[in-house]
Amino acid sequence: MKHHTFRAFFLVLLLCFPLLLQGCGEEVPVVKVDFSKRESIKVPVPEPAITYAYLPQYSHEISYARHNPLIQYLAKETGLPMRQVFPDTFEEHIRMVERGEIDISFSNPVVYVKLAQLGSTAFARIKEPDGRPAFRGQIIVHAQNKAIQKLEDVIGKRWIAVDPYSAGGYLYALGYFLDHGIHAHNFREIAFAPGPGGKQEKAALAVYAGKYDVASVREGALDTVKDKINLQHIRVLAVTPEYPGWVYSARKGMNKEIVSKIADAMFKLSMKDSSQAAILSNARTSGIIPATDTDYDAVRTLIHKIEADRVTSSLPKVPSLPVQQVTNAE
Amino acid sequence: MLNRISTMRFRTKLNAGMSLIIISLSLILAVLVTHIAANSLVHETKRRGQVLADNIALRTTSSMLSGDLLQMKEMVDELRTVDKDVAYAFLINSNNQILAHTFTNGFPVDLKYANGITTTDQPSIKLVDTGSDKFYDFAVPVKAGGHVIGQARLGLSRSQVQSVVNGLILTISIVTGITLLISVAISTQFAHKITHRLGMLGKYAESIVRGELKLNQTSGLNRNCWEVYKCEQTECPAYGNTDRRCWQFGETLCTNYCSNKSARDLDNCEECPVFARNSGDEIHELAETFDVMSLSLRGHIAELEEAKNDLTQQQEILRTIFESSPDQLSLIDKEGTYVSVNQAFASFVKKTKEEIVGKKEYEIPSLLNTADTLQETKQIISSGTPVNREVRIVLEDGSRKWFNVLKVPVHDEHKQSIGVLGTARDITNVKDYQNQLIHSQKLESIGKLAGGVAHEINTPLGIILGYSQLLQEDFDKEEQVHKDLVVVEKQAKFCRKIVADLLDFSHQTKSQKKEMCFNNSIMEVVQLVRHAFKLDNVEIIPNLDDRLPIIYGNPEQLKQVWMNLMSNAIEAIGHNGVINIHTKLDINKGTISAWFTDSGTGIATNDIDSIFDPFFSTKPVGKGTGLGLSVSFGIIQDHGGQISAISPAPKSLLEDGATRTENWGPGTSFQVVLPLDEIGYE
Repeated sequence: MKHHTFRAFFLVLLLCFPLLLQGCGEEVPVVKVDFSKRESIKVPVPEPAITYAYLPQYSHEISYARHNPLIQYLAKETGLPMRQVFPDTFEEHIRMVERGEIDISFSNPVVYVKLAQLGSTAFARIKEPDGRPAFRGQIIVHAQNKAIQKLEDVIGKRWIAVDPYSAGGYLYALGYFLDHGIHAHNFREIAFAPGPGGKQEKAALAVYAGKYDVASVREGALDTVKDKINLQHIRVLAVTPEYPGWVYSARKGMNKEIVSKIADAMFKLSMKDSSQAAILSNARTSGIIPATDTDYDAVRTLIHKIEADRVTSSLPKVPSLPVQQVTNAE
Repeated sequence: MLNRISTMRFRTKLNAGMSLIIISLSLILAVLVTHIAANSLVHETKRRGQVLADNIALRTTSSMLSGDLLQMKEMVDELRTVDKDVAYAFLINSNNQILAHTFTNGFPVDLKYANGITTTDQPSIKLVDTGSDKFYDFAVPVKAGGHVIGQARLGLSRSQVQSVVNGLILTISIVTGITLLISVAISTQFAHKITHRLGMLGKYAESIVRGELKLNQTSGLNRNCWEVYKCEQTECPAYGNTDRRCWQFGETLCTNYCSNKSARDLDNCEECPVFARNSGDEIHELAETFDVMSLSLRGHIAELEEAKNDLTQQQEILRTIFESSPDQLSLIDKEGTYVSVNQAFASFVKKTKEEIVGKKEYEIPSLLNTADTLQETKQIISSGTPVNREVRIVLEDGSRKWFNVLKVPVHDEHKQSIGVLGTARDITNVKDYQNQLIHSQKLESIGKLAGGVAHEINTPLGIILGYSQLLQEDFDKEEQVHKDLVVVEKQAKFCRKIVADLLDFSHQTKSQKKEMCFNNSIMEVVQLVRHAFKLDNVEIIPNLDDRLPIIYGNPEQLKQVWMNLMSNAIEAIGHNGVINIHTKLDINKGTISAWFTDSGTGIATNDIDSIFDPFFSTKPVGKGTGLGLSVSFGIIQDHGGQISAISPAPKSLLEDGATRTENWGPGTSFQVVLPLDEIGYE
């Protein structure tokens, strides 16, 4: 009798097993929400603040990551409200400066030359991570590209540059080519990396992928792609002469006191202080030093040289700065 | 309940059991599969929602940084177009301000804080219940440079998922139902197949019980062994036998797999193609085992029938012997109760067998029982020693009988005495023969003695006779001396006659035997005495066998015997009577018999045993020598025959053609039996 009862119990348990499984599902917390209570959303208006923009050489995220700590520092140091803004392109950056939407612009020398024409004034420039107050451009090819062994081998090849306004990523290299008797029209194709942002990486990746034969990037840009590609496969064909580094400029009509406060705060940053060193390293610099507009005459000279070559070049399609694309008809 | 189940038909039970198993398994599987599938679906939905939320968070980082509200709006709206399960999506900045959302009629106020990323900036899922619908709400942080710059929120409709789950449940249910129906149909067919065969086996078993030992028809041979092996050994017991498998025979002549193997050693058979083609499943094997059992039973029953017939026959013989035995037979058990008696016993105690069987020994009075019969029976059983004794009883009519009573113990298979078998044999005749034997031995001694004496006195008697005759010549016939000498001579002759008879009696005279006619021998004597007997008015009626029997004998001696018998007859009759002489040839036995029957006074019962004794005579002294019948007895014995007397004479013999006279007595009949040929004499 006992045995029968046990067997019956076992059978019932077996049959009820699927029901027990009902409790095994993964459930989430339930929140009751009344969907009938609604409101219209107003567009959030940012609070008034000194706007800071980083020339969109990289993506907004990288720009934010690199410069947000610095902005936080400057706001804290100066007591002024500061906010980073993100133009999508170099042109937009220039236009925003022109429109007064960017108070403090951190741009390359070529863009600065353009901004200076719009009334901006340089007040500080950065030192490269290695401590030099200037930087160079690099001409890179794929390490296994046997066709390009020396600089002259780039003739008739496809060249991808970062941007027509890029200093290290285009103009320095173009100037270097001109110095070595290689003109823009000697290339089968001159292309620019698509935007917005991430242009340095894209140029390097294009050569790595074999899509283009030659690329010109800013010195130090290869470090940003070391996680994506094997740098062993990239060969630096040539390095351009040095030109002054990236520059901080204040827009036209900017309160000089404020500019001075910000500049002071910048100049106080030192690699000796660990927290400040972190801010500087994050911004890919080793320090910020004072700058004047005349520091960038060498760049103006280079631009003139290129412009003169463009005018005299047999390739009429080579655009005046800024250019988007140059294609050799041949 | 259990009782009802146990009384159900096996087919019903099998059907119900299999259906129950299939239904249970189907239900379990359906529920399990549905549950797992539903869970997987929900899990997948959550994962999908998470991926979508992660995606929108990543994609909107740049827009959020640049504050591009239009792009953010486009992005959240785009989600709804790519995935119809997306109920809503919205973006919140780090100040908890709504940057973009998909709601058209205003943003639900409470939704913003219904969910949110955790304090450790991890994604969060919650089920938002609006009352009419439920949504899985995913909150994912939007990060830039390691900092949270906002949140992306996404709502996936649970009802959509639920409808898919419901569809899945419906599909699984339909599939399960169809599977169930097919399975039940197949299982029913399967159960029918099994139970049908079991039913046939059951009927077969019932037919065996009824004694119909036919072979099972369900297990027919597919291929016969002699066909498989193209065997031509017609003397093999398996050859041509379509009723039995070859492996059911003890010894076959097959040398392939089963040489010198008993029928029960099936190990070798498993490799045999005959076995492989003809063997089946367990039921098939059971049917075949039934066949073997049936055949075996048939053989055993035939043997039993034969044994039973033998036993019946033996029993009948024993019963016949038991019943037809003239001896009184009785079987008594340990308690002294009659178990069985034969008819002779029942007749002796004048009861029926039914009256006797079951009664105690002392309850059936018998002249053979003594006072301590019961004690005697117990003694035999306890000691195991038989009792053998001779009992003389006197019957109601005064006649005496001798019985030999033998009681032997009866043993069972363990040598234990279980009763007593009693035998009582009438030995009265044996006793008579015994007395006759003693008498004959006595006569033989007397004869030898008399013969010796007679031989010795014959010579002096001759001298006395001779001298008496010589002396007679010396005296005148009238003289007294002559007269005395005549008396001497007469007495001497009488003595010589006695001596001669004595010598004959003791066979001391050699008889000359030759072939002779038995009837003529008798008729010669009849002719001789007929006239003389006629004077006394005694008629001789010869009634002789006309087949002229020839015997080998001494005519003179036999005539003397006939003469003696007829002399005795006339003396017994006196006057007025009949002597009936009857002869009969018995070719089968090789004998010739003669009956001399007279109508005389007969012989007294007490005397009849002594009439052949020498010197026994009922006549007055001087009338007879008492040696006539003794001499006749000796002659007949010398011829290898027998002589006997019966008194009163049988009527058939006495009155055959005779007319009763005045002094018609009981009469006496003498029978003489002689062998026909010489061999009988030796």
